[in-house]
Amino acid sequence: MVNATLAPETTERAAHDDPAVGIRGRDRHRRRQVAVAYLFLAPTLLFFAVFLVLPLGFALLLSMSRWSGFALGDIDPVGLDNFTGLFADGSTFLAPILTNTLLFALGTVALALAGSVLVATCIDKLRFQGLWRTLYFLPIVTTVVAVGNVWKYMYEPGGLVNGVLNALGLGSVAFLADPDTALPSVVVVQAWASVGSAILVLTAGLKSVPESYYEAAALDGAGPVTVFFRITLPLLRPSLLFVCVTQFLTGLQSFALISVMTKGGPGDATNVAALEMYRQAFSYGDWGTASAAAFVLFMVVLVVTLAQLWFFRRKGEDA
Amino acid sequence: MTPARRTAGLSRRHFALALPSALLASGCAAPHQGIGRPGDPIVLTLLSHYASGELKEALQGPVNEWNATHDLVKVRTKAVEFTDLLTTLMVRQAAGQGADIVHPYCLWNGQLVRAGVLRPAPPEHAEEITRGYGKAAVGSASVGGKVYGYPTEVQTYALYYNKRLLREAGVDGPPRTWRELEETAYRTTRRDQYGNTLVQGFGLSTYDDSTTVGQTLALLNAAGGTFVSTDGRTTAIDSPAGRAVFDLEHHLVAKGASAPGVNVYQAFPSGQVAMVVSAGWWTTSLKTLMGKAYRDVGVAPVPVPEAHGKRATLSTGFMLGVNAACRHPREAWEFLRWLNTDRVGVKGATATRMSALQVSVGSLTGRADDMRTLLGRGGDPNLRPFLDALAYAVPEPNVPGAQQAKSLLRKNIEALWTGQQSVDEALRTTRRQVDQEVSHSW
Amino acid sequence: MIRRRFPWFSYLLVATGAVLTVVPFLDMVMTSFKGPGEAGTLPYRFLPEAFDLANYRAAIHQLDLPVLFRNSVIATAVITGSVLLTSSLAGYALAKLRFPGRDFIFRLVLSTMMFPPFLFFIPHFLILVHWPLAGGNDLFGRGGAGLTVSIVALAMPFLVNGFGIFLMRQFMVAIPDEVLEAARIDGAGEFAVWWRIVVPQTKPVLVTLGLLTFVDAWNEYIWALLVSTADPDVMTLPVGIQLLQDYVDPTRTMPIVMAGLVLSILPVLILFLLLQKHYIRGVMLSGLK
Repeated sequence: MVNATLAPETTERAAHDDPAVGIRGRDRHRRRQVAVAYLFLAPTLLFFAVFLVLPLGFALLLSMSRWSGFALGDIDPVGLDNFTGLFADGSTFLAPILTNTLLFALGTVALALAGSVLVATCIDKLRFQGLWRTLYFLPIVTTVVAVGNVWKYMYEPGGLVNGVLNALGLGSVAFLADPDTALPSVVVVQAWASVGSAILVLTAGLKSVPESYYEAAALDGAGPVTVFFRITLPLLRPSLLFVCVTQFLTGLQSFALISVMTKGGPGDATNVAALEMYRQAFSYGDWGTASAAAFVLFMVVLVVTLAQLWFFRRKGEDA
Repeated sequence: MTPARRTAGLSRRHFALALPSALLASGCAAPHQGIGRPGDPIVLTLLSHYASGELKEALQGPVNEWNATHDLVKVRTKAVEFTDLLTTLMVRQAAGQGADIVHPYCLWNGQLVRAGVLRPAPPEHAEEITRGYGKAAVGSASVGGKVYGYPTEVQTYALYYNKRLLREAGVDGPPRTWRELEETAYRTTRRDQYGNTLVQGFGLSTYDDSTTVGQTLALLNAAGGTFVSTDGRTTAIDSPAGRAVFDLEHHLVAKGASAPGVNVYQAFPSGQVAMVVSAGWWTTSLKTLMGKAYRDVGVAPVPVPEAHGKRATLSTGFMLGVNAACRHPREAWEFLRWLNTDRVGVKGATATRMSALQVSVGSLTGRADDMRTLLGRGGDPNLRPFLDALAYAVPEPNVPGAQQAKSLLRKNIEALWTGQQSVDEALRTTRRQVDQEVSHSW
Repeated sequence: MIRRRFPWFSYLLVATGAVLTVVPFLDMVMTSFKGPGEAGTLPYRFLPEAFDLANYRAAIHQLDLPVLFRNSVIATAVITGSVLLTSSLAGYALAKLRFPGRDFIFRLVLSTMMFPPFLFFIPHFLILVHWPLAGGNDLFGRGGAGLTVSIVALAMPFLVNGFGIFLMRQFMVAIPDEVLEAARIDGAGEFAVWWRIVVPQTKPVLVTLGLLTFVDAWNEYIWALLVSTADPDVMTLPVGIQLLQDYVDPTRTMPIVMAGLVLSILPVLILFLLLQKHYIRGVMLSGLK
């Protein structure tokens, strides 16, 4: 779906068709272009060789080895042991860690999507749209360390959220300390931090809906709710797909926020796959298990993304 | 690991060793830390978690003394917070930046030995350590029968109790058996008319790994049980002793005598907890926090299930070891010997510099003789039970994977306390999870 | 639109959302002025008793702020510069030059965007550790610390960005070939064509890409945390502030942490407010982030 729109266009027709340039000249010109092109691409290709191809191979090797991480000569191949270990009886990887990862991503996407659809459709009718968008955008340009700490502090017994609850006559909630509320609490923060970009993408999508559709609907006497569900939402589908896919991707692999706010606790209540990978490698020195966990998570990411593309496309054919 | 695989691993390692030596011989070796011009002193780095406040200064004192009196070998300290210590040890080692002298928590020794971070103590040092320290301390500093460093700070666990709260509930003295423990806990527990807990009889707190697990393991050891089997490859918690501990904790929580959500480190000093099992280091902070009210604090050995049962409790600790990658191991061990065995005058007595250092910050070392000397005169009587416990305490298991096992145990204890798991489920899940983790780590 | 009633519901909803977005920032600023014993106590109070700068002084004092700032600035500048340069060069080659393997390379660039960063976390670290002939390493990458003890390590994995190349290429395709051809006939080499014609024409995209990269690089945390663990001398601002709060009793130092955070997000915030048009366009183009 992506590739169809992004295929390289043919260029340089001018040079090709110009009769003034002789065949030999054209050949020389072309040879020079090839050299120049590879020269221009050299830093990029070199980078991808060292920081993409090599690491992928290395990670694959590690995922099938046992290694303490110190001397390269000690890498000890063990086949699929690391993968079977992850799913063995008694392993915490599948539940709660991978389940948490999925719940975290799902919760974030649901919240961010609902919030951004609401706000984006409303913003479209207002004045000072730029100002509103700027405000919603602040969390996105802020470092995760700030977002995490500010919210962590707001969730504390003496923090803002409990202050508001108490002022309303409600009891305090131990948001991050209680295993039952910890995961939803960090989900809210992740959604809060990512809703701005979703609003932006959806606003762009809304702008492309022709005004005449709304006018026709108004003539038919359709209420705002009907308009929203019958016109706005279906026409927003490409933008929604985009928001869904990207937010899911981010949700499945993000652990910076969790590492700042809860470090995966209490217990394993907010532990997610990427954080577990980090810990296995850099605290416990189990690089093999860590790399295997990374590949399992990569597979999950891939499957979830493809499933969404398939789902949205099928819905598109139905409509 | 099969024998064949081990051989293959070895030959690769030899190959890996051969190349750099060849390069060294041809003069390509790059200069690295500590090797300067001839005549420059050797600089040894020391990584610990003595990062701030009095701990940092307490360590810096003897290090400055060494540097002032030794021209050829200098020691430079580096420190990170305890929460970052394991990751820092592992990451710096992976980056070829491991400190020459490291100060790990003994729980990690198995992992560090297996990863090739720690260097076994040379025979004369090993002998010195085995002779000079208590059994639990030596056990913590050893892996597979080999000694890997000088034990430094040793913590044993005992029962803290609030004399005033016990008196008010009509209890004469600290409990000696679990039956007395339960009775005292229920009698001291107090609630207000809305059901809010005013005083917990027995504090069970989920503050961190060591708090949660320390309390449970101390009781487990007192019941004659251990967390990990003697060969270190399976957990031994799913046993009568383990069941007894989980049952006890379950009763206490279910009957409202324990409120695991409350932070005991705040609640006990403010008189909201009657009894709690904790380590010796806490006396110092209690003294500062409680001021005059500290005279209400008493310490007794961890109660045993039956009267006249054999005493046991948990001990944990740190040690100073030498990095396998250290280029000057002889000098590093020499510094450690100077710090940990040479005796100096301290307030009219003699003790090692490390003993003096630990006592000055309210901790113990595994040298019972030093401790008796230093704490003997006019010291806090509450430290006595911790000191006595050095003789019978069981060292925290330090097999490879011990840190993961501890985290897993903590998670299951918390699930038991919050009612997410029954005693049966908690025992079963702990066994399954820890067995999987520990067997994988070998 | 036909019906033009005042959209009070929309205003209410959008304003409520905006308040929810801004309040945490205000709470951060307010907390950064609160004195000892004022933060984290019950009942909660939004405003500080006095707007005292003591926490800011404490943050600057405890943080070694000049070093952290320097590291953050160097890493961010190197990353941004490199991404702009490599994206523009590679984008030009892919958009306007003919050479065998172009389609393949373009697909490769697109596919790099599919791989999640966490997959590379461990191997990138190990590759830097075993970088040949650096940081005491031999030719085979053994014996020393490699690049992990150098400030370069902070920037290394981010020097080239697949999305940047894609973005630049898409915009360069739109440049008419006649313009480039005319310059070539005048005797300009490909490098001159790129520098004198293509770069000026794509300036707005470069600004957008630069801004996106800058914000990401400045805010990067996880990789910087790992590199700083190996060598504390290359610690960046976010890492320094995060570690600051682990050092002492968290509630007591929270106001100082907040002061540090305010200082660290100010540069990005100002830049964003000044150039937000470009930034927002970038997010719309990528949708990502």
